[in-house]
Amino acid sequence: MNPIARRWRAWWLARHPLSDNWTLTQGNIYIVPTRAGFVYALTLMVMLLASINYQLNLGYVLTFLLAGSGLMSMHLTHRTLRGLTLHLRPPQPVFAGEAAPLEIVVHSAGRRSHGIGLCVQEEGVPYDEVPWVWIDVPAAGQATAHLSFVPPARGLHAVPVLRAETRYPFGLFRAWTLWRPASQVLAYPAPERPAAALPPAHAVGGEALQSRASEGGELEGVRAYQRGDTLRRIVWKKVARAGELVSRDTRIATQQELWLDYQGTQLPDPEARLSRLAAWVLAAERAGIAHGLRLPGVELPPDQGEPHQRAALRALALWAPAR
Amino acid sequence: MKSPAALALLPRWPGWKHLPREARDTLFLLAVIGWTVMPHLSHLPWWCTALATLVMLWRGRIALTNAPLPSRWLVVGVVLAASALTVMTEHTLLGKEAGVTMLVLLMVLKTLELRARRDALVIFFLGFFLVLTNFLYSQTLAVAAAMLVSVWGLLTALVLAHMPVGQPMIRQAGGLAARAALLGAPVMVVLFLLFPRIGPLWGLPQDAGAKTGLSGELRMGSIAELAIDESIAFRLKFDGPVPPAEALYFRGPVLERFDGVEWRQRDLLTLSFALLDAELRVQGDPVGYEMTLEPSRMNLLPLLDATPDAAAAAPRIPGLRTLQHADLHWTTDRPVTDRLRFHVQAWTRFEHGPRRGVMALREDLELPPGYNPRTLAWAAQLRNDPRYANASPEVLAGAVLQYIRQGGFVYTLAPGEYGANAVDEFWLDRRRGFCEHFAAAFVVVMRALDVPARIVTGYQGTDRAPTDGYWIVRQSHAHAWAEYWQPGRGWVRADPTAAVAPDRIERSRHLAPQPGLVAQALGNWSPELLTQLRKSWEAVNNRWNQWVLGYSQKQQLSLLERLGVQSPNWEDLSLMLIGLLSTGALVGACWAWWDRHRQDPWQRLLGGVRQRLRKLGIDAQPHHAPRTLAAAVRQQLGAPGEALAARLEELDRVRYGPAARARPQAGWWRQFAAEAARLRSG
Repeated sequence: MNPIARRWRAWWLARHPLSDNWTLTQGNIYIVPTRAGFVYALTLMVMLLASINYQLNLGYVLTFLLAGSGLMSMHLTHRTLRGLTLHLRPPQPVFAGEAAPLEIVVHSAGRRSHGIGLCVQEEGVPYDEVPWVWIDVPAAGQATAHLSFVPPARGLHAVPVLRAETRYPFGLFRAWTLWRPASQVLAYPAPERPAAALPPAHAVGGEALQSRASEGGELEGVRAYQRGDTLRRIVWKKVARAGELVSRDTRIATQQELWLDYQGTQLPDPEARLSRLAAWVLAAERAGIAHGLRLPGVELPPDQGEPHQRAALRALALWAPAR
Repeated sequence: MKSPAALALLPRWPGWKHLPREARDTLFLLAVIGWTVMPHLSHLPWWCTALATLVMLWRGRIALTNAPLPSRWLVVGVVLAASALTVMTEHTLLGKEAGVTMLVLLMVLKTLELRARRDALVIFFLGFFLVLTNFLYSQTLAVAAAMLVSVWGLLTALVLAHMPVGQPMIRQAGGLAARAALLGAPVMVVLFLLFPRIGPLWGLPQDAGAKTGLSGELRMGSIAELAIDESIAFRLKFDGPVPPAEALYFRGPVLERFDGVEWRQRDLLTLSFALLDAELRVQGDPVGYEMTLEPSRMNLLPLLDATPDAAAAAPRIPGLRTLQHADLHWTTDRPVTDRLRFHVQAWTRFEHGPRRGVMALREDLELPPGYNPRTLAWAAQLRNDPRYANASPEVLAGAVLQYIRQGGFVYTLAPGEYGANAVDEFWLDRRRGFCEHFAAAFVVVMRALDVPARIVTGYQGTDRAPTDGYWIVRQSHAHAWAEYWQPGRGWVRADPTAAVAPDRIERSRHLAPQPGLVAQALGNWSPELLTQLRKSWEAVNNRWNQWVLGYSQKQQLSLLERLGVQSPNWEDLSLMLIGLLSTGALVGACWAWWDRHRQDPWQRLLGGVRQRLRKLGIDAQPHHAPRTLAAAVRQQLGAPGEALAARLEELDRVRYGPAARARPQAGWWRQFAAEAARLRSG
């Protein structure tokens, strides 16, 4: 894209305020004839010439009827989008390089709207290959469309510009709107694959202890199931054998401490280090080992569980080297 | 169309409702295409009809069985083969017949490549064009109605192609298509009334002209098409008494060249450069009349025989040059595309042509060698008859007419097909035919007797009674008669048809074709009702012809005049058109602007509720449900606000309770507003 076009595009997009709710009105719907529309116009011109040359009054009637219907279809196409409200549900964090699902709820205030295509506006994708998601919105109701976009790197990403388009009813015109949602998608660092082995955990006393869980062997301690134990903690093998619920006794595990340290990754590239750390966080959580995270300038004390994992990954996603 | 064999090939029909969406849409489109092609079947070559039917059945089968589409190369191959066949049957790829044939084939074959949406669009645009081509052949009310259905079907299919989700009902898409067409109708009316009508932009191809009227060529069967065409050719209003029916011959092209199959005019060069002189000698009093000629898209002026090229008698038409040819028929310098009205004088008693033999008469003796040998033998036998040893052409003509009268000839519009030696077959074997058979046979026999003779085409007679003082001549009055040359007198008219069906001439009752089954049954049951129906149908048809088909520049300008424009011209038309269309566009824009303020009734109601509550000092936000607002009312206003809060809770129950209605009962808003107003003033 040449610089002028890029600037024009940037200026144009800047006209659209950031919002998670986007009501379509005359002010933010664009409409142009499609290629089919131009071919239609050409067909009508040829038909008009034929009517003139053969002096066919019914030919005039037909040509003008089609011209009138085509013209009215412009209003109908525009009206299909007008009065719709697009709403983006808060997007969930994902790992960089994985598709982030975007759930868009389209609400129609009045009439039923057919054939509305939604897509993530991407540069350099030919028009024919855009992966449209088509929905119909019922009258005074709503419909949900699932889009996705792939954050290329870790960090907070603005949801890319979304596009809602329709060619209904005749395909002679396409009306579309560009929407810049205010929400951001958090992308965790892509976990290293295959994951490197976890660094050795230390007993609280300080003695080094190999994590048993990563070897996949029998665990040291089990106890009877107590209310509140997570499903992950249940030792299913023993349940199958004993016929009653048995939970992993994590006292032993919690007595170990695993520090996932930025310095301990032994990789030159900081992004690669973060990827390894992310993989370790996942592995430690899977193994049920309390783990702490140490990044330059950030330290998360050892803990375990969903919120802790999220906090750790979030820290990894947002960490920026000090300048 | 479906033979048992074809049925056996067809897969089981799952029922319209259980068809997968793709198959259903394809079948619907095929039905629409079939309906659009149907009127063309009568004039398409048989192989085209067969191929189109086959391809459509095949495509339907593919849709039902969900089989893969044929490869592109196969389709291209069929297109090439079809083009070759078209060239073989039509001798060209251009021109009307060949164009329609190709259009039908392309359209049908395109269904075999119905993959992407783009392919579908090509079919729609070809389809609209195909609808237009139907009007080249007929613009009757029935065809218009049928084509309206076609347009609706095509638009419906177009809408269906743009409903990518689920299985929308055809009824729904059809309703929308009809609505778009209805919305477009005002635009159509305005454009139709005001779009400046101009003449053809360039010369029309040869086959474009003779939709109706006489073509200047004659081949057995060509006038039969006219004979069943009840459309009006022209109207007459006589200054004085109406001449007898047997004098009402309106002259068209004179056909002198015969190649065994077709009769043609002499070279136009010889005709127009007046190498031959008409030598018209009139007798008696002239017949003055006014002629209103319907647009025929031909150059012919079918004037009453004979109209001399004299100052007072010849037609004067502004904007057109008229020309009398040596054979006495009149033409204009360009096709008649508008209704013309002019005054002419004719003399029904006249003589014309050279009195003494001239070289040019030789051509009227020529017969193509090898054709009709038995008729020639018959003529030679007559000539060798001692009774006619030195007979004049007049006597010979009398003898030939006598043969027609007594030879058991039958006048019929349905004589069946004739072969290569059509005159032999007609004259000696079958003896069934109508004017063109009689005239052609008469001329061949006269030429065989060494008498110069030729065919004259034109119109004969009028409707039996005048309508509003106008005598109507219809295309069904088209006629062919003969002229032979008598030394000392010139060309003499002889109408061999009159010899067998004098009724045809004297009372000018044209033969009606056999009525259809329904008409027959109705006629037996209640002749009055049939007559009544026919009359109303004719009245409707007349309106149609007058208002739709006959609408031309003249009517446009008179419309403007009635609207108060003085001495309007086509620039006024254009200005008015542009003005109206701009106004329409403005109205459309305003409507769209107004429409943006339209809201869901529920949202509008809540908006009103919030506004009233804010006036009472309650912080009502868009995300507050009515029950939340009710709680706020109770909290802030206490006991006096209880009624208002109850109203709000009622609203909440209506919307979110088991009934889940979109709107409260009528009167809810009035009570709520009254309560709010009471609280404000109190």
